[in-house]
Amino acid sequence: MTAMCFSTPAPVARRVRAYFAPVNRAAQQPVLFDPGPQGWFDLDNPPAPWLNLGFIQNFVRKASSKSSAIAAGIPAAPLEQVRESIGAQVSLQFLAWTKLSMALATASQHMNMIAPGAPSAAVRSDSTASTIVLSAGDAAGFSAGQIVAIDHDYSGQTGYVGSPINGAYLRQPLTDVDYLRRITFNTGLVAQVTGSTLRLAQALAGGAPESGVKVQAIAGFVDREGGSFYPEWSGLFVMEGVQGERIIFHYPRLQPMASAEESALPLAAKGQGRLERVILNAQFLALPVTDPLDNERIVCYRSFLPAPNALV
Amino acid sequence: MQNAKDSFYIALRNRLAALNPERTILLRGAIRPGILVEDAEAPFPQLPSDVFVVRWLGHGADIEIASTLVAEECEIVYGTCGCQTYGGLDRGRALSQMDGELLAILQPFSTPKLRFASQPPGAMLTQVFWDEPVFSPAVAQRDRLTRSAKVMVYSYQEEGE
Repeated sequence: MTAMCFSTPAPVARRVRAYFAPVNRAAQQPVLFDPGPQGWFDLDNPPAPWLNLGFIQNFVRKASSKSSAIAAGIPAAPLEQVRESIGAQVSLQFLAWTKLSMALATASQHMNMIAPGAPSAAVRSDSTASTIVLSAGDAAGFSAGQIVAIDHDYSGQTGYVGSPINGAYLRQPLTDVDYLRRITFNTGLVAQVTGSTLRLAQALAGGAPESGVKVQAIAGFVDREGGSFYPEWSGLFVMEGVQGERIIFHYPRLQPMASAEESALPLAAKGQGRLERVILNAQFLALPVTDPLDNERIVCYRSFLPAPNALV
Repeated sequence: MQNAKDSFYIALRNRLAALNPERTILLRGAIRPGILVEDAEAPFPQLPSDVFVVRWLGHGADIEIASTLVAEECEIVYGTCGCQTYGGLDRGRALSQMDGELLAILQPFSTPKLRFASQPPGAMLTQVFWDEPVFSPAVAQRDRLTRSAKVMVYSYQEEGE
């Protein structure tokens, strides 16, 4: 049997998709992506715990690893190369403002603004990531169109807080009982209220609520310039070629490294209008992990899945 | 490039039939989805209304790469007079609907390349792909509104092409 094949030039891709997954800070555990079994995942429905951030633009990777030569002999000539340091940076622009994209685009703690006077209500344990079950009386206090945050009452803990996505690091106890709902990533838009159930328009980033959590209405999001907390995420960027090939960049540990910053992109051609799209700029520092395959320290992986029938 | 052009047209035709089965044209005695290739039909004194007319324009090739990349500029022209029920007063809305349909059937921006020399058509190895459309301003000619969109269609030449 003869294999049908063709020579394919450099991949042609339209856009880059971004996916992020939370690093477990307390356990220092990033999310590792294995392109062998997982590389052909459904780009619209990434495998858990990866969160789909959609299309991004101006995706730029910059390696900052340095090598130098060890010279020997007279006259000296390079004998070997050694890697003096490893490092990389990634920059990109998000095309949407969401809780997650805002948080990723700032090297600081990202918070939810509790709605004025909003009470918290206990969430029943039969809730799911997109259906929040309350008592009938509590549900009456919510309405479709509200944004809600779901997490535990704060009870004096310190260290990394927020579960399963760490949203802050506390060095000393606070007195604000709503604090965890201020920093949680379990937020969502209420699409419908029926009886004792809040149906969310999108699933919670952290999955089904844990036992004992409460839900509270929020008004929006806020981040600050300053502070000492640097969030950390595992990152995955996918370029899909027009022939079906994929280029996948995986950074197990990414920390936002730039302050909150926006760019203005005119909607129409120059001189044809004054409307501008406000775009979130993000810049990340890649931190190293030890590859379990051979114990080498690395900061990123680049994988290529060739197009069907393409010569390799 | 002929296989690519044929594949592009068939992809758009099938997508249109799925999206809006009511957009049809009676052509050479048969009712077909409302999209046709201008150079594959008898010349029209005036382009038919409420259908998409595919017109092939410029041609280019990049031979400096592993497989020759050919490109052809495609203009898709469409016009409408609205419907008789409303005396043509809905022609703007009808054109907007066609704008939306064209944008929808152009996505996804690729389709498998097929060889139409035999029946059924045989699958080839590569994909035909194209860029985002560039829409022209609407042109009013008496009671008729017309617009066109240009798309650059690309294909890798395969063995035997």
